[in-house]
Amino acid sequence: MLPYFVIAPLLIAVFLYLFSSSRASRIVAIIAQAVFVVFTLVLFLESRHGEIYTAVGGYRGVLGITLTADMLSASLVMLTAVLFLIAAIYGLKEPSSKLYWLLMFIWEGLIIGIFFSRDFFNVFVLLEVATLIVAVLIMYVRENRSMFDGVIFLMVNTAVIQFYLLGLGYIYMLTGTLDMAVATAAIAQMESSQLILPYTLIMAPIVFKCALVPLASWLPKVQGIPRAPAAVAAILSGLHVKCALFLFIRFQEVFAPVATEGFYIVLGIVTAVTSIIMAFSQKDIRLILAYSSTAQVGLIMIGLNLDEYAATGSLLHIINHAVFKAALFLGAGIIVRMYRTPDITKISGLIKRSPILSITTMMAILGIAGAPFFNGSISKYFMMAESGGLVFWILNIINLGTIILFVRYTKILFGPDTSNKSVQIDVNKQISVAMLAVMCLAMGIGGVWLANFLFGVDVELNFWGYFEKAVIFAASVAIALFVNKYVKNDNFFLARVRSLDLNFRGMCVCIGVLFAVMLVFMQI
Amino acid sequence: MQTASIIMFFLAFFGLITSQNIIKSVICLMLQQTAVIVFFLGLRHRHGILAPIGDNLTAEIAYIADPLPQALMITAIIIGLAVVAVDITMIIYLTNKTNSTDWDEVKQKSRELIEEVK
Repeated sequence: MLPYFVIAPLLIAVFLYLFSSSRASRIVAIIAQAVFVVFTLVLFLESRHGEIYTAVGGYRGVLGITLTADMLSASLVMLTAVLFLIAAIYGLKEPSSKLYWLLMFIWEGLIIGIFFSRDFFNVFVLLEVATLIVAVLIMYVRENRSMFDGVIFLMVNTAVIQFYLLGLGYIYMLTGTLDMAVATAAIAQMESSQLILPYTLIMAPIVFKCALVPLASWLPKVQGIPRAPAAVAAILSGLHVKCALFLFIRFQEVFAPVATEGFYIVLGIVTAVTSIIMAFSQKDIRLILAYSSTAQVGLIMIGLNLDEYAATGSLLHIINHAVFKAALFLGAGIIVRMYRTPDITKISGLIKRSPILSITTMMAILGIAGAPFFNGSISKYFMMAESGGLVFWILNIINLGTIILFVRYTKILFGPDTSNKSVQIDVNKQISVAMLAVMCLAMGIGGVWLANFLFGVDVELNFWGYFEKAVIFAASVAIALFVNKYVKNDNFFLARVRSLDLNFRGMCVCIGVLFAVMLVFMQI
Repeated sequence: MQTASIIMFFLAFFGLITSQNIIKSVICLMLQQTAVIVFFLGLRHRHGILAPIGDNLTAEIAYIADPLPQALMITAIIIGLAVVAVDITMIIYLTNKTNSTDWDEVKQKSRELIEEVK
């Protein structure tokens, strides 16, 4: 049954490639995608009764390639289907290129494949092909800047995935299998000193793909490309990075004897703080969103390694972040078209130009900032629920940074209207952003139920704890307003930070440094 | 063979860090891929092993080659080829526009071209 979930998007892709010149065929594809969403829901309900397991080609056990859907992967597949449905609605009228539609739906199939895959080598193939697809998607607009950043993106990704391939060879040498379930059992018997090299070789690329500092700069680079489709940026931070986080969770389970939680908590904190500073220094609204994505990934990384309660919060945050960040990126795509510039200092008066888009953007902002009743608040509440002392305050400071960032972002809503009046806003784009914004609110109100439903864990919301969070939120907003009033973007320090740019060699050095640091950390 | 391939892998990585020329970087990337392939082919290799083909294999299990690494590497080679092909396509486009294969120069010139368009 599971292979069909990977094949279905590919069939839609081929269908669109053959007939994409007409509007009608796109509507058919969107309907097919909507039906597919229903099927993923059925799959999820099915997976609640136990893991669904398919051996591709009928070979069971070590010999075959297995696809498995447990609750986590089934819920992420559902998210993937929903986000691609919304991206398809968003792109209904443009871009008209056949290539765009073909690649988008192939990408969906690949992402779903990664969520189902329980085989090290399969993961390699899917990741590498997905990288190739992203590279073509961002450079098909054929502009020098996009070509250059596309080359860097592709080459760095290829260089780093070779580490993974080498690590996979080590796993095969040690355990004689590439199946994750069998490898887990074999690795559980081993000493952790034996596992240091394969673990580092496999995890360094995953950390890269998660876009953690010092390797975070590829993601904003790709998302900030002028004229690249907004839906690509939305899916990149909504799902592509989440694939890496999902693989991180899986591989941590496989390498259970290796204890590295502390390392990732530190890495997550560094990532979050650096990204927030980077984001605050940017002027391009897409870059602000891109750096805030890496900050949220850092936050998720901290949560995943803290305790069980925080890990549930992080899983929920993976889904919440995909929803509100997709809403923000798609909204930013409309805004950039309307104002003919991505510069935040030149955009103002959105509320006069398009009240609906302003409200939906505001809802997404409230979601990411963790305002009460919106989805971000629930996942952040669970992340902080059990932690105490230092970690609690660090998490709050990171959230404060996010709020400062998005208070600055709300500037585009107010002031005189500077938009280009001749550009019409497409209704389908507004609908897709509005759908995501409504999801932000709905997932906030039903957040606790959703956590129980999606992950089957028993969590509950303490009223006074939630009230406390609301008070902290209000205080943070006050601080954020104050900071935004007095810290100007033309500040010398921030201008320096903004001009920071890693080139290809710099990124390779960072990969090497990360690899060495991980090796040294594991030896101690 | 294993040690040699790992040395080759990290030499290629060193090349990626130091090379100033885009084409050299691509060559280093291919070298890195080759190193991984050599590593895989050397897995569980010993002298005198036979290919696992034919109905009446007489050799002991220990003397039959493991077919899995080869199968994996064929896939890896194809993917590597596709990636390098796309890389080269993009680089040809950039070189035609900027008349250079130097990382810094290409970057600077492609930024300048954007400014001109604006």
